[in-house]
Amino acid sequence: MPLQDYRPMMERCSNCLNCRWVPFDKLKSLRFGENCPSVCYYGFGTYSARGRFQLGQSVLDGEVDESEAVGDIIHSCLACGACDVSCKVCRYNLEPLAHNLALKEEAVSRGWVKPAHRAIMEGLRTEQTMLPGRRKADRTAWQEGLGLKDVFQEKAEVLFFPGCKYAYEEDLREKTRGMVRLLKKAGVDLGVLGSAEACCGGRAADMGYADEARERVAANCRACGKAGVTTVVTPCADCLHAFKRQYAEAGATFEVLHVTEYLERLVATGALALPGRIPMTVTYHDPCKLGRQGEPYEAWNGVEKKIRNQIHTWDPKRPRYNGAYGVYDAPRRLLEAIDGVRLVEMERIREYSWCCGASGGCEAAEPEFSAWTASERVTEARATGAAAIATACPWCKGRLGTAVDENGDAMPVVDIVDLVLQAAGEVQA
Amino acid sequence: MNRMPDAVYREFEAVVGRRNISRDPAVLETYRAIPAQSSDHRGPHEGKTPMPQAVILPGSTEEVQGVVRLCNRYGIQFKAATTFWSVMGYIGSEASVQLDLRRMRTFEIDARNQVAVLEPYVIGGAIQAEAMKVGLTLNIPGVGCSSSVVASTAGWVGFGPTSISMGCASENMLGAEWVLPSGEILRTGSLGAGAGWFCGEGPGPSLRGILRGKQGTAGSFGVCTRMAVRLHPWPGPAAIPTRGTVPAYKASLPDNFKAYTLCFPTWEAYADAIRLFHENDVLFLGHRQFNMFGRDIKAAMIRILNDPDLQLADLPALCEDPYLKEQNEKMKIDIQVILAGQTARDTDYKEMAVDRILEITGGWKSEMMLDKELADWVLLYLIRMGHKNLNYVLCGAYEGNFGLSSNVYVSASVMEEASDLKRKWEEQGTAIAAVGGDSDMGSICIMGGGGSTGWEFFTHFDAYEKASTRGTAEFFNATQAWMNEKGLGVDMGKWNQSARRPDGFYFSQAEQDAMFEKLPQPLVTEYQFKVREAFNPNDLCGSYYRTLDPNRASRRRNEG
Repeated sequence: MPLQDYRPMMERCSNCLNCRWVPFDKLKSLRFGENCPSVCYYGFGTYSARGRFQLGQSVLDGEVDESEAVGDIIHSCLACGACDVSCKVCRYNLEPLAHNLALKEEAVSRGWVKPAHRAIMEGLRTEQTMLPGRRKADRTAWQEGLGLKDVFQEKAEVLFFPGCKYAYEEDLREKTRGMVRLLKKAGVDLGVLGSAEACCGGRAADMGYADEARERVAANCRACGKAGVTTVVTPCADCLHAFKRQYAEAGATFEVLHVTEYLERLVATGALALPGRIPMTVTYHDPCKLGRQGEPYEAWNGVEKKIRNQIHTWDPKRPRYNGAYGVYDAPRRLLEAIDGVRLVEMERIREYSWCCGASGGCEAAEPEFSAWTASERVTEARATGAAAIATACPWCKGRLGTAVDENGDAMPVVDIVDLVLQAAGEVQA
Repeated sequence: MNRMPDAVYREFEAVVGRRNISRDPAVLETYRAIPAQSSDHRGPHEGKTPMPQAVILPGSTEEVQGVVRLCNRYGIQFKAATTFWSVMGYIGSEASVQLDLRRMRTFEIDARNQVAVLEPYVIGGAIQAEAMKVGLTLNIPGVGCSSSVVASTAGWVGFGPTSISMGCASENMLGAEWVLPSGEILRTGSLGAGAGWFCGEGPGPSLRGILRGKQGTAGSFGVCTRMAVRLHPWPGPAAIPTRGTVPAYKASLPDNFKAYTLCFPTWEAYADAIRLFHENDVLFLGHRQFNMFGRDIKAAMIRILNDPDLQLADLPALCEDPYLKEQNEKMKIDIQVILAGQTARDTDYKEMAVDRILEITGGWKSEMMLDKELADWVLLYLIRMGHKNLNYVLCGAYEGNFGLSSNVYVSASVMEEASDLKRKWEEQGTAIAAVGGDSDMGSICIMGGGGSTGWEFFTHFDAYEKASTRGTAEFFNATQAWMNEKGLGVDMGKWNQSARRPDGFYFSQAEQDAMFEKLPQPLVTEYQFKVREAFNPNDLCGSYYRTLDPNRASRRRNEG
């Protein structure tokens, strides 16, 4: 939906500031009570979802044409969606996250772009990856020797889609291979897109590059359709979100599961055993795209309708993405299934989790802000007494793993898959 | 608009640091109140407030003082706000800077003395969560837990659902630290005598009445940078245990907590019950909350808010549900109450007292609201006061009107007539949401211990649709005419019409003089003029602090 279509929302946002805090019912302290990294870091209310609604209105009205900062402000949103959840505790007719993304798209269309994003988008256009400097030709190197089916050649029950990070990064590649071995050992009929594998496009959408994102969605949808894919499993939270929401919106009908969901199913049915013991206290960081944004897509094509004179509703009823049905329990159940692992929770969890700072293009364009966001999370994790942070997204793991807490101390960060591979005896600790 | 000279801007920048000041239009535009931000009590309006010359984020009392001194040096008006709930917190002239105090967020809790010392960005919900860890809590006023405790305590009336057991803002305010409009720092009450924060009056300067009075000065008397508030016993766990799926969170509190919706056959019985609650020290919390949605839709709204899969599009069907219609009828005249027993015997007493009061008044407990899930939702909703934004849920804007603060027998006697008037506007026009006339959200206690109540009809309208805004303003004119006819005073929706012009600007002194010289008791505003001359010699804080030039009043008297 283009920015101008959000004008009613811009003018109906009433500045309650719920968008700056975790849902108040869940507030446990002042220290870890806020939810929007952007307004916390930059300070001005402009950076909150409410500020962005007003900024959007000013952009449409031509009131900020002389602003030097407007592009920087717009792109400083992590697109984490924490504001969206808190807003919708009370409001049924505002969409802060969707608006923030439309504002980014508008900024890109006006040429208000971040220099750091140019290189990333160039890589996406030419090499079909969000990791600048990586070549398309190297993308499938991780598959070598695994005996994976090419889904264009033969049917497979499950398409394994690793995403850019797991496909390219050397320190993750062996883990990707371990995951595949483990799934195959559990009897899963796995296939891959082979040389057609490319970026999902989700992160481009979060940066406001909607055309590029749509191009990736269309290409991957075509490929999956041609291959007759029915189930996609991915270890990347960003890919999961893109497949589950943007691909579904584009007409894809396949089932999409995060690898933790799939592994948890295998453990629950006894297809996968985790005999190893890992004596470790961990706290779990909910990735935004797996958690609050990991809800299933619901198709909708409707219009606003007023009832009782002035009450706004939608006709037909509009899907209300508010984090209620995100993926929260499967990763936790998987952790609890590992002998010796003890899970302790941070203050901000599940739908009101604090972002790691890696999303929205901020890690590249606003590295200090991104690092501060991650630092806040590590500080919060440290307060639980856990020995490590467990997460379920390579972007979160990377971001948190290079951060330090408010005292300058780092904390080990593990992917849940690391622990599962270890407990299953696939790798040594 | 004239831009602030670069040299002056750099002086402000030197006080707070480059990172904490901005004059970029993209930032300035977002510090203008828009029409949806309607709870200003000057009626629905259409324009934005003026654009400030700069937005400044001071981080300490000293930085606030530095900014205010510069404002005095250069004749720049200023306004400080933190959580910006109301338009009262925004500047009202173009020669102004907006202070946003969000960097000031420290707090200390002195559990033994039941005192919390707060900076402005400490919101009600956060300090409640912190206080509960040591067995204490605080009165969160009607503005809700998202707002600054300092702002609600220093700036506005400050009563809320727990005022019946904890008192109101003016009663809970203890020592305070103010940067006066002149730039001097004043420490009031015991703090001013170096005796700590425990007392709002002496030993030390007893200026609480000057600085906030009963109603508060809406942020127009300098900047309150730190304040102590009274904490009260919390007979619950160190944190409110919660469960449920967003947004239908519920509290899992022990059995000494009870939430009831009490219903009455007549307004007379309702008034009798409230009087008895005032007299018998029964309630932890008392409030007429869910009626704010409207008499005809409240049961349906409660159902929607408790089911993650329901939304406003489900309202028409739910409103036709025979069971919910019956509940609306049974809850036609209702209040929500929470009991919090300090001991088992105290809990028993309170339960018996509620039952006895219902027996005396012919009232009953709503069966629907006795459902455990709903009762636990009510407990969380009202104790935390974290759903204030539901004020806006129906249309995106609302304003409270009628709004009498009085003896409950006065308000109860006119409630049905007020409801009829509103229902007529709902049925004969389309400007305001049609919710069944009565949409009163009333605090059953606006002073500690009781004796007075407030009632405020929530009028829901769409600020995006000009016809709705204008039609609602006409409705408020009609309610004011009715209030005049009944001798009930100023409609709440117009309380601040004498504080800020319809175009969002402050009134000039001449405009204030023209209004206030006609008041029946002009000496109050003449006195305030003299107070302002003493504390705010350069008149930098705007017209929410109502003043009448005594010279003009005197001339007028002589001419008369």
